[in-house]
Amino acid sequence: MANENLNDNLKRLSEISNWFDSQEEIDVEEGLKKVKQAAELIKASKKRLNEVENKFEEIKKDIEGEIGDSEINQN
Amino acid sequence: MIEANKQIKKDLVNQGLSQGKVFSVSEYIQLLNVVLKKCQAKIIGEVSQVKISRPGHIYFSLKDKNESGLIECVIWRYNYGLCGVELKEGLEVIVFGNPDIYAPWGKFQFKAETVEVAGKGKLKEEYEKLKKKLTEQGFFSKERKRLIPSCPKKIGVITSSRGAVIHDFNSNLKKFGFEVKLIDSLVEGQQAVKDLLLSIRLFRKQDIDVLVIMRGGGSLESLLGFNNEILVREVVNFPVPVIAGIGHDKDVSLVALAADVMVSTPTAAANILNQSWERVCLNINRHSKALIYTYSQWLLKINSEIKHSFYKMSSRLEIIFRKYRKIEGKLKISLSKIKFTISEQRTFLNDNGRLIIKLFSRLLSQTNKNIAKSWNKSLEPKFLSSFKAILLCIATVEKGINYNNPGRQLRLGYCIARGGGKIIKSVKSVKLEQEIDLQVNDGMIKSKVKNINKNKKNG
Repeated sequence: MANENLNDNLKRLSEISNWFDSQEEIDVEEGLKKVKQAAELIKASKKRLNEVENKFEEIKKDIEGEIGDSEINQN
Repeated sequence: MIEANKQIKKDLVNQGLSQGKVFSVSEYIQLLNVVLKKCQAKIIGEVSQVKISRPGHIYFSLKDKNESGLIECVIWRYNYGLCGVELKEGLEVIVFGNPDIYAPWGKFQFKAETVEVAGKGKLKEEYEKLKKKLTEQGFFSKERKRLIPSCPKKIGVITSSRGAVIHDFNSNLKKFGFEVKLIDSLVEGQQAVKDLLLSIRLFRKQDIDVLVIMRGGGSLESLLGFNNEILVREVVNFPVPVIAGIGHDKDVSLVALAADVMVSTPTAAANILNQSWERVCLNINRHSKALIYTYSQWLLKINSEIKHSFYKMSSRLEIIFRKYRKIEGKLKISLSKIKFTISEQRTFLNDNGRLIIKLFSRLLSQTNKNIAKSWNKSLEPKFLSSFKAILLCIATVEKGINYNNPGRQLRLGYCIARGGGKIIKSVKSVKLEQEIDLQVNDGMIKSKVKNINKNKKNG
């Protein structure tokens, strides 16, 4: 699964930006609410985007176990 | 189980050969097979006598072109399927495997694990043939390509764990908290197919967002494993998007063509994974700046409107206050004038009040006396004479009114004739046979005009 929260945050930020763009009359109170919401989203997103060390893991495979043994038998 | 078998075989070889043990046929064949297993090699030769058994395993002979050597070979159905080569009489191939004795028949044969077509020209021909086939089946079409999910986190990687590829990939992945799972795989030649296939199938069971298959660049021969039809089908049907980071000289490998995203270096593959994270970073900063700017503009606009309204109100109030102050000034002047006048009058009255009252009383008394005096001496006879004249005038008027009363005329025998609602004053007002009303003193007579004679004097 990709990082849904981050993508959701970005989507919601985009919606807030669009809201501001679509307003014909200024509603400062509603605008302030939206700015507060956006600030929370930006804060959460930046927290996630801060440097996080990558993790590496090697998965071992068992060739003989995975490839069917039945096919090794002749005839 | 596998490890235990290996140990038994090892013991068999060591003990049996050193202690002069007498073997059964089966035991001896088993011993030989342990030894023969170590004789793993690649053999080049021309294919002949191809036979397919009922279960699908392929039996064929491999012989030298110009010499007399010949070896019986077998390749299991599964491995043959992986090779993507069709064994035909006369085809020159390279087989990889080890010799083996089949105990029930005592038959010596070469057990091939892989078969590849020998010769660059032939390889190229096979590559083009498969590429054409898979292209026609739509495996490489753009419409089929899937998008790499935004901000992928869990990454599956198939490559050799040794070498520069994995190092370059890891060092170019930015620190976004990726969780990389690696399966070490052979990537060289035809032998890689089985390993790659196993790795891909293993990753099917893992929870990953993207699969990355990588290897460094190489010739058509060394990339042979990546030009395999089964592998291509696995990549196309893989449940999540696949990135191929497979280097190439001239011919792009078919696995790379089938992948959802194709790059040629591990660094580029890492960059593909970094991209959406970096884009999110940029977008969040962009949104952040845009929102701050927009809201600041709003506040500035509102502030400017408030200031404008304030100035407007101030100027209006200033006009009102100015008028008020003007009126106030005038009122103050008027009041002070009144005050001054009252004060003056008060002073005057204080100073001359008694004298004025005295003079006024005297003047009033004198006036009364003059009126009384005038009445007694001259006004009385004049008044009486005027009064008599008025009474006489009234009597004359009354007499005139009585004389001209129409009722009196009716009583004397006169009548009033009416026709058509109007008083008849002339013969011109009536017509012959017209009905007219005659009002007499005591009632009304209905009449009809029989004859009209005009007075000569009037005619």
